[in-house]
Amino acid sequence: MRLVIGGRAQGKLDYVLSRWNLQKDLVWEGIPAKGDLPHLIERRTPLIVNHFHLWVRRRIEEGRSPEEEMAAFLDFCEDCIIICDEVGNGIVPIEPFEREYRERVGRLMIWLADRAEEVERVICGIGQKIK
Amino acid sequence: MMVLVIGGSGSGKSAYAEKLSDELMGVWKYYLATMHIFDDESRRKVERHQSARDGEGFFTVEQPTDIHRALEKMGTRRDIILLECISNLTANEMFSEREKKAENKVVETVVSGVETLREAATNLIVVSNNLFEDGVVYDETTMAYMRAMGRINRRLAMLADRVVEVVAGIPIDLKYIISCEMQCG
Repeated sequence: MRLVIGGRAQGKLDYVLSRWNLQKDLVWEGIPAKGDLPHLIERRTPLIVNHFHLWVRRRIEEGRSPEEEMAAFLDFCEDCIIICDEVGNGIVPIEPFEREYRERVGRLMIWLADRAEEVERVICGIGQKIK
Repeated sequence: MMVLVIGGSGSGKSAYAEKLSDELMGVWKYYLATMHIFDDESRRKVERHQSARDGEGFFTVEQPTDIHRALEKMGTRRDIILLECISNLTANEMFSEREKKAENKVVETVVSGVETLREAATNLIVVSNNLFEDGVVYDETTMAYMRAMGRINRRLAMLADRVVEVVAGIPIDLKYIISCEMQCG
């Protein structure tokens, strides 16, 4: 698994596609549903999970556990590239939900970065390998 | 030696700062906490940090404002002081009195407090927050706070021998001076 993080609109997806020479049809918004997984894995190309932070946000809103779901997903599909916005570099919000969202995206990033074989940070379309 | 550790919320900066203090291997280690406990959430946050430090041999000193005064609560030998964190300290300095304190005054108070701690300890680790990248235009009070924080971070980075940014738990060196203390142990 590879993790790509960076601020909004920094060209993370374009960077991933050109860096690993991949096609847009491998891109998924968030984690694919369980039913799609076997079919996706047969393709033998890395799966790209785009806007991971938005998927986490939806899961928290639904009262589900993105942490557990993510762990199960990785056990099944280790060959993937996770793209996530950096959401923690701002003023701590007043609303408890917004604080929880940032905190949980941050903790998930730490966990994924620890597990990843490679971590890249993208700024102005330029990737910086930090692991 | 002084190390400035900076990161966003949930970046793992606290855990990294604590790991760093382990590597420095002091005997007399002080954890200087600046957070005002005002609700359950801040209490939980303090408890989470405290339990992470359990068994690490830290003496915890609480000092929400005027951090130089924390020295009065410590012994004379101070191998390591871990100050957490500048964003709370700055907010406390700016907003804890009835009148909002002026930006310049807040910057000088915080920076000179850190300078005093730096002189008083063999190693000082300071944790600060990157809260500048959400692109939101806030009310003037919050903007004043952000300007003060930005100036403080820049001044502290100048004072520090080492500046580390933590991203997803990964430390990235932004400044690293091999000083005599580090070479000589």
